[in-house]
Formats: sequence, structure tokens, C-alpha cells
Amino acid sequence: MVRFLRHYGTLMGMAAIIVVFWVLLPDTFMTARNWLNITQQVSMLTVVAVAMTVVMVVGDFDLSVGSMASLAGIVAAVLFTLGFSVPAALAVALGVGLVGGLVNGVLVSVIGILPFVATLATLTMYSGAAFILSGGKTIFGRDIPQAFGDFAKSGLPLGSLGDKPFVLPWLTVLALALTAVIFVVLELSTYGRRLYAIGGNAEAARLAGVRVTFLRLTAYGFTGVGAAVAGLMYAARVASANPTQGEGLMLNAIAAVFLGMTLTRHGQPRVLASVLGVLVLGIMDNGLTQLQVDSYVREVLVGLIILLAVSISALGRKAIGRR
Amino acid sequence: MTYSITRRGLSRALVLAAGFAALGGGAALAAGEKIAVITPYLSQPGTQFYVEAFEARAKELGWEVNVIDTQGDVAAVISRIEDVVAQGVNGIVINVDPAQIGAGLDAAAAANIPVVGMDAGADPRIKANVTSNGYEMAAVTSVYIANRIGGAGGVVMFTFDAFPPVQVRGVIADAVFKNYPDIKVLDRITPDVSDGGIADSRAKMEALLAANPEPGSIKAVWAAWDQPALGALQAIEAAGRQNEGIVITGIDANPQARDAIAAGGNFEASVAQDFKGIGSTAADTLARVLGGEVLKANVIYVPTQLVTSVNAK
Repeated sequence: MVRFLRHYGTLMGMAAIIVVFWVLLPDTFMTARNWLNITQQVSMLTVVAVAMTVVMVVGDFDLSVGSMASLAGIVAAVLFTLGFSVPAALAVALGVGLVGGLVNGVLVSVIGILPFVATLATLTMYSGAAFILSGGKTIFGRDIPQAFGDFAKSGLPLGSLGDKPFVLPWLTVLALALTAVIFVVLELSTYGRRLYAIGGNAEAARLAGVRVTFLRLTAYGFTGVGAAVAGLMYAARVASANPTQGEGLMLNAIAAVFLGMTLTRHGQPRVLASVLGVLVLGIMDNGLTQLQVDSYVREVLVGLIILLAVSISALGRKAIGRR
Repeated sequence: MTYSITRRGLSRALVLAAGFAALGGGAALAAGEKIAVITPYLSQPGTQFYVEAFEARAKELGWEVNVIDTQGDVAAVISRIEDVVAQGVNGIVINVDPAQIGAGLDAAAAANIPVVGMDAGADPRIKANVTSNGYEMAAVTSVYIANRIGGAGGVVMFTFDAFPPVQVRGVIADAVFKNYPDIKVLDRITPDVSDGGIADSRAKMEALLAANPEPGSIKAVWAAWDQPALGALQAIEAAGRQNEGIVITGIDANPQARDAIAAGGNFEASVAQDFKGIGSTAADTLARVLGGEVLKANVIYVPTQLVTSVNAK
């Protein structure tokens, strides 16, 4: 029973949340359009959370993803104002993400600073850089190319639903594609298996010939690029760039990965579990908004859900350990 | 976890069911229009004033208002608009630049749900934006100066044409001062605002005071917002020329400006936006739209108020 709860408690909880919303919002919650909305709303968080999963597999984490997302959006927007083409500006912004991620990697892995301290420091540095580049202002309007903003409003046509076209949003497509890439990297490659080995026991992995320092360093490259992609998606969605707009992503991404970890057998971070964690957060936001629950109460509820899920998981592990 | 969530859900279902039953019993369900107010800026004082005033007026109208604060997250404003559109609200009120939430406005437009802005900016997808008239505010302060100095003398202007809402203020002041043949605009200064605008305005004003040492050579300072007015006041006091009768005006009537005006020094007047009026007018405007009226003007101005030492506190 305990084992059952521990393995399936979170899944059953998710199902319960969905059923509750379905019952309370019979006409508007369980519709294809609403679910497409949800996938689009969580697309940016999905990208950050799956990228965060990579470093969390190794046992590290990255606090700088939010400010890196802001910085990437600002870099692209500033380049737009200087007349750069969309592909060029996006390439530079992604490059900034990669470099920023690798800097975190060097600090944590080569120099040996605790991830909390190293990425807290780069969090403020990247945020400061975003403010310097933008002069603290929001960049929007004619400075942002039409095509860039339109990308986030359009999608892959899948036919029609009733009288309206049925479109899979590009933001959702992008999130799915990146999730697939990270899934292959973590679950189907030797690189991924080595990362899990390091996360399990770094010393044992080292003795077995795994290049621990190098691999930990490269893992941060994924969070850097993932954060930059999410920041660009955010900037496209609001057709503007602001030096603080990525801030909310970091804590939510870590929360999503933790929620996902309660789903997996040994409490390890897994890509698909992280995506489920993101969905729980997105569904809560969507459903509680539709139920007109106060936005501050909503935040308390989301925190409570995370605590409940993790508590059940921890208690279950303890109970199993005692036997 | 499973049990507790289900139980919480059930209890909420019961509460909701009881609520609906009560409403249904009173046959009042039809009056309860559902309105969503979605803002990223609820923690800012001005926003709080107009959201509270909106809620108060909405209560009188019998509306059920849901205020959603996304805490600075503009993309979340789009997401929450999509959610309330799915929920099927009757109207949406925003106070963020429409250019940043186009995707959300498209969703509302597709579902024929009217959107009204509170100090938001104009957009074809917004039925009306309720705000203060920048032209009017500038007219009030520039005419105040012209009258105080008897339509004659040197005037220093602080403007900022790069920011459209402030640019319109400068245009009006230019016109008013031009209309008095004996008023001479000594300089039209654009201060560096990266430090907030006070320090650089003070430095620029100090230079002008040095260039015009004769008492009475500068009669007034007209500032397009409060910070340059405060900087000019500091410069005048530091130069020991506060007794020459130089008249300073600002716009916005922020707390620091109100203090300076109340102190009775050279800083004599500013203009306050009526945030509560913006909130209640937004509710009335939405009521007109919901009543089927097609609005001719898509920007609705709420009167502003001159602030002097009489009413600064």
C-alpha cells in the first residue's frame, strides 16, 4: 500500500486535480482548445524545466536560468534595434546562453564552487547585464520585427474544429521538439547514462573512468541554451523584451523537476516526469483562474501541492526503508 | 495526497454548489456579469487605486469581479486572458501596453469578449482606454505659470520628447508660451533621466542660473514631470536665489512633489491624475459596452486636478 502510494500517489493526485477541474468546469476545461492553450502557456517553462533536469541529474542545479532568459531576450531585441536580421539576432542570443551556461559549468565543476553560490552570483551578473544592455527599459513596438512576434501567435494547422481552425502553436511544437532532444540525450545516449552515474555516486563514476569534471561542465551548457531558448520564446510571446521578464521561470522550473522526481522510481530527475511536473503547475494556473480563485490563494495552493507530493514521496521512501 | 486533494476539491465543489443554489434561489444569476481584471502591476500604488475603485463601482453594478495579479509577468497576462476567455467571462479589463499582449487580445476578440483598458494605451482590439489627458495636464500648468508671471519674462522648460506621453505635454507648453509675446523661453532642456532625472536636472539648472545671474532674469521653470521640477528647486535653493520669486511647476503630483509644494517654496504647482476616477470610469465604460453601446471615442479621459499649497496634503 505504502509502496503503491509512493509510486502512484503523485500520478493519482494529478488525475484528481484534472477530474476536479473537469467536474467544476464541465464546459470549458476539458476542451481541445483549452488544452492547446495550456500547452502554449507552459511551453517556456517546459523548455527551462527539461534543461534544468540535465544538471539536476548530476546532482547540481542552476539558479541563473531566469536571468539568462531575460538576458537572451534583451540581447535579441537590442540586436533587432541595431538592424540585425531575425536569424542573426537569435543565433547571437543563443550563443550568449551557451557561453553563460558554460561559465556556470566552469565555476561549479572546474573551480569547485557550490552550485548554489556560483549560480546565485551569475544570476545577479546576467540580470545586471540585461539591465545594462537595455538601459532598464522595455524594448517593444516597431523595434521588434513583425515576424518574430507573429511566430508566437501562429502554429501548425491541423485541420479545423467546428468553425474555427485548429492550430498546434509553434511554441508548443518547439517545446515538444526540445523535450525530445533532451530525452534522447539523457535516456538514450551513453552521455546521459554517465550523467546519471555521476548523480548516483560521483566518486564511483570517477573510479570507473567517467570524466566527471568535464561532463558536469557540459551539463550546464544545456541549461544555458535552454534558458536562452525560453527567453526568446517569452520575448516572442509578448513581442517585447524586458530585463526582468524571465524571473518567474527559475523557481517554477525547479519546482516542476521536484514534482516530477516524486513520480520516478528512485526519486531521480527524469525528462518526461519533469514535463508532467510542468503540466501540473500549468493546469493549476489554468483551472484555478477559470474557477476565479484569488491569484494569491492560487500561489499558496501550488506551493501546498508541491509540499504534499514531496512529503508523500519522502514518507513512502522512509516506510520502505524501514522494512 | 490524493485523498486530501480530492477532499479539498469536494469541499470547494460543495461551497460552489451552495453558492450557485443561493444565487439561483434569488434568480439573481443573470445580473452577475463575470469580469476579469488582469494586471502585472497590482503592487504599484496608482494601479491599486484604480483597481479598488473599479471593484467598488463593479459591486454597485452587481458584477462578479476576479482580480488577477501576474506580479510583473506580462506573458502570464496573455495566459490568464486565454484562461478567462475559455471560462467565458463577460468582459476583461487590462492595464498593460496592448502591444505586449497581442496574442491575448486576439483570443478575446475571437470570442467577442470586450476588453477595456485602464491607463493601458490605445489599440483597435480595445473598446476604450480610460486614462488622463496629457495635453490637458500640460495646459493647466503652463497657463498657471503664464498667469503667475503676468505673461512676461524668461521661462526655462524641462521636456522629454523621446517618451510619447511626455512629448505631448511639451507641445502644449510650447504653444501656450508662444501665445504670450513677452514670454521668452530661455532654454528647452532634455535632462538625462538614467539617474531618475533629479540630479541631472539640478546640474542643468545650476548652469542656467550661472548664465543668468541677474535677479528676475528667470521668472519660471516649467517641467513636464515632477523630477526636473524637484531638481530645479534644489538648484535654486542651493544658489540662494529662492527669494527671487521663480515659479516652478511639475506634473504627476508624486509624494515628493506634494511635500515640496506644501512647504510653500518656489515649487508651486503640479497636476494629479484621478486614479480612482479612472477605475470607476473604466467600470462605467465597460457597462456601456456590455449594454450594447458602440463607443465613438476609443480613448476616454478622466479630468485631472491642479495641486497647489492649498490641497497638496
